[in-house]
Amino acid sequence: MKRPYADATVGGMALGLVLLASFITAGRGIGASGAFAATAGPLAAAVAPGTIESQRALADRLPVVFEPWNDWIVLELLGLVVGALVSARLSGRWRAATNDRSRGRMSRAIAGGALMGLGARLAYGCTSGLALSGGALLSTGAWLFIPLAFATAIAVTLLTRDSRLEGAS
Amino acid sequence: MNLDSLHPAVTAIPIGIAFGVILERVGLGDPRVIAGQLLGRDFTVVRVMFGAIVTAMLGVAWAGAAGWIDPSTIAMPPTDLPAQALGAVIFGGGFALAALCPGTACVAAASGRRDGLAAVGGMFAGTALTPVAWPAVRGAVSDAPREGATIAADLGVPVGIVVVLLTAAAVLAMIIGRLMDSRRTVGSVWRPTTPESVALVLAAAFAVTDGRGPLSAAQTGAIAAEIASEADHVDAIDLAELIKTGQRGLRIIDLREGLDTSTYMIPGAVPMSLAELDTIRVAGGERLVLYSDGGAHAAQAWVLLRVRGIREALVLKDGMAAWEDEVLSPLLPTVPDDSARTRFKRARELALWFGGFPRLVPDESSRSATPRPRRRRTC
Repeated sequence: MKRPYADATVGGMALGLVLLASFITAGRGIGASGAFAATAGPLAAAVAPGTIESQRALADRLPVVFEPWNDWIVLELLGLVVGALVSARLSGRWRAATNDRSRGRMSRAIAGGALMGLGARLAYGCTSGLALSGGALLSTGAWLFIPLAFATAIAVTLLTRDSRLEGAS
Repeated sequence: MNLDSLHPAVTAIPIGIAFGVILERVGLGDPRVIAGQLLGRDFTVVRVMFGAIVTAMLGVAWAGAAGWIDPSTIAMPPTDLPAQALGAVIFGGGFALAALCPGTACVAAASGRRDGLAAVGGMFAGTALTPVAWPAVRGAVSDAPREGATIAADLGVPVGIVVVLLTAAAVLAMIIGRLMDSRRTVGSVWRPTTPESVALVLAAAFAVTDGRGPLSAAQTGAIAAEIASEADHVDAIDLAELIKTGQRGLRIIDLREGLDTSTYMIPGAVPMSLAELDTIRVAGGERLVLYSDGGAHAAQAWVLLRVRGIREALVLKDGMAAWEDEVLSPLLPTVPDDSARTRFKRARELALWFGGFPRLVPDESSRSATPRPRRRRTC
């Protein structure tokens, strides 16, 4: 049976404690886009050798060495996938009703993902690594990113409304 | 309790699992929840995000105040404002289209959602294709991202004040979100806002105590390690090379007392008192080089800046004395070997460039006005 979602405030505080545990035990925050960089970067470097290495600002954002088993962020994202999978299974939300078969939805997800990939590299992180982790550490860049990313997302949502995602929530 | 010496998996996997479970439980693996937030109908994203930020922020603040950790040693993303502004706009557009962010896209995919998997694929492709898009966005990227830049240091505001203001703003957003969300539930009543109130009290208490007590052992230990590693120093010769090559962002500060217009200063240096230095603002990409006569004064000034969280400062090793001895009037050793000759050749070029006089024999009546002991180790 599908269970209702947990309270968002309690969930947020629990996530904050996990983030705090990460700060203290690993000396770093949690993230997501970094794991994409750690795997997609070496692939790009293998396809076009020298392109990333020759530009310092790009090399600073996109690793070229492939070492996923020793990379904290890759292992953490693997843990996230396992945790989400088990949680979805146990709470009866595996393959919960969604409109993921409509073609428009899939192309929007792919295009959105691609834009987030580029944006996160430019910004040194995404909603997890920059906004959450950097935000809790009072990072100047994080507190520029949070309002700007959300303002843009709200504007784009209002301009290109996807009725397939509305109604349920 | 830093577990750095162990394999990264020891901390990464449990933390990742907890992260994934929480995102799935609150519903952030469901694109309809995120789309609902962007349309102002569902406040899950705001409540989870600000709840997490406030909890972790207050945890770091209090653990730091108690001396358990040194918050400045926690790795955080660098700051590069123009690049992050452009990145935020591009990211925000993608976030709206996918109605998922990178972390929640992974949760959606792990919950069996095909659109989640599609967003993960798009994310991987977009990251791999970043070098292709780079020429179009490179203009916003600065040469010198600032490591560890915080709002408190950048605005010159105490950390406690920043913590209180951010907590107040986040708590307000969380309470509004909670009220909006409870309106949707039939028969819902006003729910107490205990967690939000506790957060505000903790933030206010931190602001009152912040900066009153001495530095924690963890903080002073980190500073001591930096000093011991000599990462806080620059040699006179290296500084001369930096000036000669026109290194950008170099800001040389003369801390000697009793300077007048006739006093020789290192080219490009500006005179400054310790009191003036104490209120200095450091711009992005700037490197401060501090010097005094011998170096003691400059080293004290470095500690002053470092305690304020400014990490962009270097001390000229052995101060003005070293500049005069090594750059203005370098001396060829009496019995020179090859490496000494090479060093002298390099120093000689610099001396001529800076209008000094390289010496082949020691000269007690050298141009420096007051005789000084040859070598000083002041820090």
